[in-house]
Amino acid sequence: MVKEEKMIKITDLEKFYRTEEVETVALNKLSLEVKKGEFVAIMGPSGCGKSTLLNIIGMLDDPDGGSYVFNGTEIAHYSERKRADLRKHNIGFVFQSFNLIDELTVFENVELPLIYTGVAAADRAKRVEEVLDKMQIMHRRNHYPQQLSGGQQQRVAIARAVVNKPKLILADEPTGNLDSSNGNEVMELLTDLNEQGTTIVMVTHSEHDARYSHRIIRLLDGHTVMENIMI
Amino acid sequence: MLKNYLKIAWRNLLKNKGFTFINIAGLTIGMASAALILLWVQNELSYDRFHDKKDRLYTMYNRAVFDGNLWCWNTTPKIMAKTLKADYPQVEEATHTTECTFLFTVGDKKLMERGYFTDQGFLNMFSFPLVKGERNKALVDNSSIVLTEKAAKKLFGSTDAAMGKTVKIDSNAHFTVTAVMQDLPNNTRFRFEYLLPWTYMKKIGWDDESWGNNSVQTYALLKPGVKYEAANARIKNITKSHSDQKDTEVFLHPIEKWRLYSKFENGVNTGGKISTVRLFAAIAGLILVIACINFMNLSTARSEKRAKEVGIRKVAGAPREFLIGQFLSESILIALFAGVLALIIVQLSLSGFNQLTGKELFMPYASVDFWIIFFGFIILTGIIAGSYPAFYLSSFQPVKVLKGTFKAANALVAPRKVLVVIQFTVAIVLIICTIIVKSQLQHGQSRDTGYKRDNLVYSYMTGDMGKHYNAIRNDMMASGAVTGVTKTSAPITEGWSDSWGYSWPGKDPNAKLDFNVFNVDGEFTKTMGLKIIEGRDIDIVKYPTDSLAMLLNEAAVKVMGFKNPVGQIVNNGDTKWHVVGVIKDFILQSPYEPVHPMVVQGPSSWFNIVHYKLNPARSTAANLKSIEQVFKKYNPDYPFEYNFVDEDYAKKFAEEQRVGTLATLFAGLTVFISCLGLFGLATYMAQNRIKEIGVRKVLGASVGRITRLLSIDFLKLVLISFLIAAPFSWWGMSEWLKSYTYRVDISIWVFIGAGVMSMLIAIATISYQSIKAAIANPVKSLRSE
Repeated sequence: MVKEEKMIKITDLEKFYRTEEVETVALNKLSLEVKKGEFVAIMGPSGCGKSTLLNIIGMLDDPDGGSYVFNGTEIAHYSERKRADLRKHNIGFVFQSFNLIDELTVFENVELPLIYTGVAAADRAKRVEEVLDKMQIMHRRNHYPQQLSGGQQQRVAIARAVVNKPKLILADEPTGNLDSSNGNEVMELLTDLNEQGTTIVMVTHSEHDARYSHRIIRLLDGHTVMENIMI
Repeated sequence: MLKNYLKIAWRNLLKNKGFTFINIAGLTIGMASAALILLWVQNELSYDRFHDKKDRLYTMYNRAVFDGNLWCWNTTPKIMAKTLKADYPQVEEATHTTECTFLFTVGDKKLMERGYFTDQGFLNMFSFPLVKGERNKALVDNSSIVLTEKAAKKLFGSTDAAMGKTVKIDSNAHFTVTAVMQDLPNNTRFRFEYLLPWTYMKKIGWDDESWGNNSVQTYALLKPGVKYEAANARIKNITKSHSDQKDTEVFLHPIEKWRLYSKFENGVNTGGKISTVRLFAAIAGLILVIACINFMNLSTARSEKRAKEVGIRKVAGAPREFLIGQFLSESILIALFAGVLALIIVQLSLSGFNQLTGKELFMPYASVDFWIIFFGFIILTGIIAGSYPAFYLSSFQPVKVLKGTFKAANALVAPRKVLVVIQFTVAIVLIICTIIVKSQLQHGQSRDTGYKRDNLVYSYMTGDMGKHYNAIRNDMMASGAVTGVTKTSAPITEGWSDSWGYSWPGKDPNAKLDFNVFNVDGEFTKTMGLKIIEGRDIDIVKYPTDSLAMLLNEAAVKVMGFKNPVGQIVNNGDTKWHVVGVIKDFILQSPYEPVHPMVVQGPSSWFNIVHYKLNPARSTAANLKSIEQVFKKYNPDYPFEYNFVDEDYAKKFAEEQRVGTLATLFAGLTVFISCLGLFGLATYMAQNRIKEIGVRKVLGASVGRITRLLSIDFLKLVLISFLIAAPFSWWGMSEWLKSYTYRVDISIWVFIGAGVMSMLIAIATISYQSIKAAIANPVKSLRSE
């Protein structure tokens, strides 16, 4: 099921955070690979660099050193504009705190990525409805985020992440703000998406959630210390 | 995309009602103020710009040295227009105008109206549209008259009825209406209700061909292609080459400078009303900028709340320019609401503003240009207000805002402080300027005029009044309505005539000294309440030779160098005036300028005005009724019209009064808008520091201490603003006061007063939010955190 073609190849990646007095190493010559169709979990203690890694993979941040090849293209030194363009066509994000826009309805939140990729209005409506249906949240399409439960909000966030049919979904502690029942539902959704071919990279503290993945990469002090292949 | 922008903008406005109210209220007041001022500015800039031949139209000015200074003035000899047209090939057409007031009679209708003597050239040169008649021959005939629509309707009921009809002027001349002109627009220097042919002026003996009598306005239309400089060089010697006045030069003053650039200092054009126009245009811009600063400050102050949205949109693929577009859409939407409200406010306040400015401004709703400017104004305001927040908010990094490590409110403290300082600097400058303008006004008003204005009244001598003057004066005195009557050449509040043609023993033959000329018959000092310093008043009854008697004012005695002025002979051409007295200087012209040397000539002169002092022992109404009966007895055809000298004198302060009132109004609005913004900022700052306040209270801080903590930062900004505003306004107002010889000293108390006032206003504005935050229960704020 897992294809051998590489989607992400990171080599000797470095990231530093500097203040006037202190330099903190967030990623220290970190290397990893993610194949297309893979479901990878990244784990590690707080401050080990997993969110930094996810932000760089998601092209929200740029590394200070090393190489990042995405789908065969080196993007470590891409400009913000080029990264944004690549990101909006290829990557969907799911956050722990859902990050929905409070002023927009469920439908409008999910529609947002389609607007920025220039999809026509009629097409947008069709695709949003399809994905809301799939996430079983269609009946809430005209509600605002504050009117939904945490589980429902995360479904909306996942719907928004997948509506553009991204090749890669990056999930940053997707169940962190949910109870176990809702958390399991979200993990099932991610698993379904992965089975349909979407590559998923997930940062989590939860061993339970990590078990949904094919492989767990454990980080410590900015580099990989262990990899577990899930059977 | 736009729909999405507007949708979220609308929802944001509804969600943050306080923010929306402050922004819309501030922008509405700012836009309405700016719009009113700009309407006024536009009106000033448009004066006489509607004439088709405006690029070739000029008025003639004289230039000559008096008292060592090069003076410029725009009254010219009557002969000049004719000479320009005949002898100067550069001139296509020339005309002249002089004001006149006549009694018009049509059947039973009688009307006193003000008009011009002029000629056909006037209609050929200026584009005042005719509603009836033919432009090219309306004033060709010696008995033709052109009426305005208003005059035609008053006299004949309609413009149609007026055409071809006869009007009687005074008691002996008849004119036929050959054209009816559209009523004059409010943006022209010309003020008349009719045009009479110049030939009538000649007929009644008012015309002359003297190059020494400067009494009319002359206008020239240059031929197409003729350069101003070339024409000027050719025309400048017109007076020299036609008369013995070898030191008087003439120059052309272009139409676009008539209204706003009429001030000359030592022969150089130094502007004029344009400085007031620039000042108010700057005030309009500043008020708008101050309102926009509110928007910038409040938008950036609450940027933490918008940061998450920016982050999400960026993660979803929004490029920065989309976000800039979104935030600009929001500000333009707010500006649109404010613009519509401002339009309503402007419409509602326009009549009051017109009263204040003495204009007839209106909103040209039917004009496409108006709506283009209106929406352009809104978009511009939206862009000014929204650009900084848009660029700032759209620059947020999604990584930081979504991780919650972003602290926008504190990141922007310095620029926001700068903007608050700018707002309050402008507000304090306006407060200081307003106080100084008002002080200068009061200073001028409190100056001793040198005569007694109370109960002093004057009327124009019309019809048969000159013929029956002695009888009228005797009857007025006998009626008990007046305590004194005198006949003069001009109202006591105006200098109508001046001359440099006087000579006296000991005069430097090279000196050219100018004197105001005032003609009186008798009882002049008694009626006016003037003080005689030396000698006596002119009294033709007691001293029959007083027909050539002369009074000098103190300034005249000084420039003439007389040690013993009484008894001196002063020559004017062949006329020998003998000085019988010296009067204390009195203000004839500007109350802000030194009193000009003046000669008061005895009854062997011309007269236009009769002044009379009402009897204070009787009511004014009773006095006027008695006087009207006397006037009607001897001058039955003419309406009894009178003017109170104190009202006329008050008009001398109209410009300063207007500037003072407008400055007060707009300073008040600027302070209000600034305070509105300060209130909003204080609200957000109190919200941002709610946890800190809670912790401080738990640790034992008193309400007073926390209130002080929250207020002190803002008060420091107001103090900095004051420190910038004070020297700036001192410099600006010192420059402004330089245009007045008689001026107020700028007192340190003005600055102290303005500083204290601005501090108190700021304290009052922010104390509500500070105290509210300080007395809040800390348990709530700490729990909510």
